[in-house]
Amino acid sequence: MALWALASLLMIFLVAPVLIIMITSFNGTPYMEFPPKSFSVRWYTNFFTSPQWYQTAVTSLKVAVPTMIAATVLGTSAAIGIVRGSFPGRRALEAFFVSPMVVPIVVIALGFYFLFSGYKVLDTPLALFLGHTVIATPLVIVMVRAALQTTNPAMEFAARSLGAGFWRALWYVTLPSVRAAIGSAAAFAFLISFDDVVIAIFVAGPNSTTLPKRMWETIRFEIDPTLTAIASLLTVVAVVVLVTGELLRRSDPAERGD
Amino acid sequence: MKRREVLKSAGIVTAAALTGPFFHIRPARADKGELVVVSWGGDYDTALREHVVAAFEKATGYAVKLDAPPETAKVKAMVQSGNVSWDVIMTDAPAVQAMLKDNLLEPIEYAAVDKARLAKIPKELQQQYALGQRIYSFNIVYNSKLMPKAKHTRNWTEVWDAKNFPGGRTFNFQGGTAPQLEAALLADGVPMDKLYPLDIERAWKMMDKLRPLVTKWYTSHAQAIQLLSAGEVVVGNTIGSRGIAAKKQGAPIDVDYNQGKLASDNWCLVKGVRDKKIAMEFINIALDPKLQALIAQKVPYGPSNSGAFEFLSAAEAADLATSPENIKNQFWWNTDWWSTPGPDGKTPRESQGERFAKWMVMN
Amino acid sequence: MQQAVRFWRSREGALILPALVFYLLVYVYPLVKMAGWSFFDHGFTLKFWRELAREPAYFKALSNTLEISVLVTVITLLLSYPLAYLMTTTTPRARRVLTVLLLIPFWTSVLVRTFAWLVILGRNGLVNNLLLALGLVGEPQKLLFNMIGVQVGMVQVLLPFMVFPLYAVMSRIDLNVIRVARSLGAPPHRVLLHVFLPLSLPGVAAGCILVFLLAVGFYVTPALLGGPGQITLATMIDMMITTFLNFGFAATLGLLLLAVVAGIFAGVSALLGLNRIVGGGAGS
Repeated sequence: MALWALASLLMIFLVAPVLIIMITSFNGTPYMEFPPKSFSVRWYTNFFTSPQWYQTAVTSLKVAVPTMIAATVLGTSAAIGIVRGSFPGRRALEAFFVSPMVVPIVVIALGFYFLFSGYKVLDTPLALFLGHTVIATPLVIVMVRAALQTTNPAMEFAARSLGAGFWRALWYVTLPSVRAAIGSAAAFAFLISFDDVVIAIFVAGPNSTTLPKRMWETIRFEIDPTLTAIASLLTVVAVVVLVTGELLRRSDPAERGD
Repeated sequence: MKRREVLKSAGIVTAAALTGPFFHIRPARADKGELVVVSWGGDYDTALREHVVAAFEKATGYAVKLDAPPETAKVKAMVQSGNVSWDVIMTDAPAVQAMLKDNLLEPIEYAAVDKARLAKIPKELQQQYALGQRIYSFNIVYNSKLMPKAKHTRNWTEVWDAKNFPGGRTFNFQGGTAPQLEAALLADGVPMDKLYPLDIERAWKMMDKLRPLVTKWYTSHAQAIQLLSAGEVVVGNTIGSRGIAAKKQGAPIDVDYNQGKLASDNWCLVKGVRDKKIAMEFINIALDPKLQALIAQKVPYGPSNSGAFEFLSAAEAADLATSPENIKNQFWWNTDWWSTPGPDGKTPRESQGERFAKWMVMN
Repeated sequence: MQQAVRFWRSREGALILPALVFYLLVYVYPLVKMAGWSFFDHGFTLKFWRELAREPAYFKALSNTLEISVLVTVITLLLSYPLAYLMTTTTPRARRVLTVLLLIPFWTSVLVRTFAWLVILGRNGLVNNLLLALGLVGEPQKLLFNMIGVQVGMVQVLLPFMVFPLYAVMSRIDLNVIRVARSLGAPPHRVLLHVFLPLSLPGVAAGCILVFLLAVGFYVTPALLGGPGQITLATMIDMMITTFLNFGFAATLGLLLLAVVAGIFAGVSALLGLNRIVGGGAGS
């Protein structure tokens, strides 16, 4: 069918570039030609042995993990509050919480620049952590909210009417019912932080350079084939995180019947 | 029971994760045995580390952290917020002027530099806030496979001539470098010794003629070299030394030193540098003629200390922008003209930079 | 029982507070501060806004931004519609595979993707080599540093944002309506045009708005894959900060961009209703 032909072309369009980069990363020569004329893992070794690369990867991790935790906590509690709570202006509040997703990231990053320079915390991992949490939380809210809407609040009320306190009911009944969504959302929050470029461009400096920031500088200032190795590694990390998230989702009995 | 244990360990991990990173990463400080030197990165930094940094660390016991690139905006943000983490910077004259305007530099302590070395450094490179480290020039850099040496563009007029010399061009935009108005004027036939003060309107008319020929306006010299060696463009206006370095690594690139624009990269001190004495000692070691020669052998920039030529062979010297052969066909970039404010308080660098950005958008 | 429910619900409502406080401090406050930079320079001033009005280059950058975004939205819609339809009518397993593939560019770092295109679309890159080998062109085509490069780079990552809203609406279309139309003798293309298409319009609207708004905010892709004709407002903001050190003007441009986005969002949601967009649309 013609539709399948179009679909296949599109799929190639979506996925091929990354695959090509992964293949190019094993190229022996410093010219990024495809198909590669020789085979070598030198760009990978380069990445793991150059402090200017692995150090930035470590920095990225040091920011992404706390971001994942903070965004998940803030986002999940906000989602529960929006779905289960009852107070005026819920819809507007929800739009407000989701708005960072549609506000141009440059504008948000610019705002952070002014904020952090005022408090003299530019170029610190703390600043990056705060910035990333702002852009990761909306996605957590959207995902958890979607899951919450499909679960039945009756169980919570039943638990409460049986004498369970507020926090107990929350922890033992509400959260487990959306455990899979929370897990996926946490994985996505991690990736959003780990892969962020724009906020890092405006906020990070020599003492807080993340891996994407270093990649950005390299693409603009020095084309280094090590980038192909890094790109491949990042793709693998993303796939692992996503697959883990999916597996968590699958293993949750509440999520059967897609 | 199991849930409680999970909760407890999750809590500990969370606490550790949340507090850990923020207390371990501290900016490098000179008073804690560290010096941060900012340069342009790449191979020059590698050579710098191998020779100058090694000698310095051995002599003083201080550790050196090399960073790149020396963005003026970063320095401004640092100095104005009191969060200074850079000590010594090596950058070009326009950037020095920009930083001086915002009062971001400390004067150079000339007393701390060897007299013998200063004697061999051109007086133009010894300024109050900047001391020259290396000399380079903006040259005609071309792809020798697509444009063979026998029939390559030998001057800027030929670079502007797409009929006789077809192919894409690359010139700089953004990245802190001013538009190449001198090259535009030379292309229009202005003699090299009659360039300054620049006839701005005439230059921009030539830039209009250049616009359709440019395939990509590069944001960094490394990008220009990459475009040239990949064959995306056949000729460009970029740093000759970088072209020579690529040629040595086997890229199909060559440089014509005719009508080149000479400039220097200079050492300067960031205002608020914690240990000026140690910073000056680093600069002094960098000006050692033997070390400058060793670096020049690896990375073909002209050493500021001409005493270095005693340690270089004739063949090595020929590749450098400042060899007697090459230097006679070039002119010095008049950074004074570029940084003297006009009647509106703006320097040509600022006003032409703005005009360049607007010109580029309205294409 | 009703009393108890209301009590618990109000307490649960309080859970929004940590996020709210965080947002106000780290999201709203910086934007307010930015507005401050735009309107104050040793006292209230409109000088940045006057400069903005006077100089055509900034509106050209804005029009570049809008031009790119409109083109991306149209191309994405044309490609996504058939794809979403396919997803609706195929097996759940195939659907899952398609979903994963669609999301791969989204989760690959933007730099990785852009870098891949830089390598693939060059004069000596894979695409040109293929075109030359197939005899479709006589010489390498310029696919980079122009609108083509930017469109390729952006469509790749924005496709899922069009496909999923479309799919969400299409999958809810009652197939019985289609069956009835067919059984009444309408040929397939009429069914498509007069029955299916109108029913799928809410999805089209949601997808287009989402893609357009996201496209307006893109920074990295147009900067790396585009040429002077694709200089966006975002690029100019960066220029203001890094090259011209003019923070007040950067803030002004930032506010302009924000105003444009807010204006479009407000206008569209007034037309279509906020529910449709926030409620059903985005979400993976």
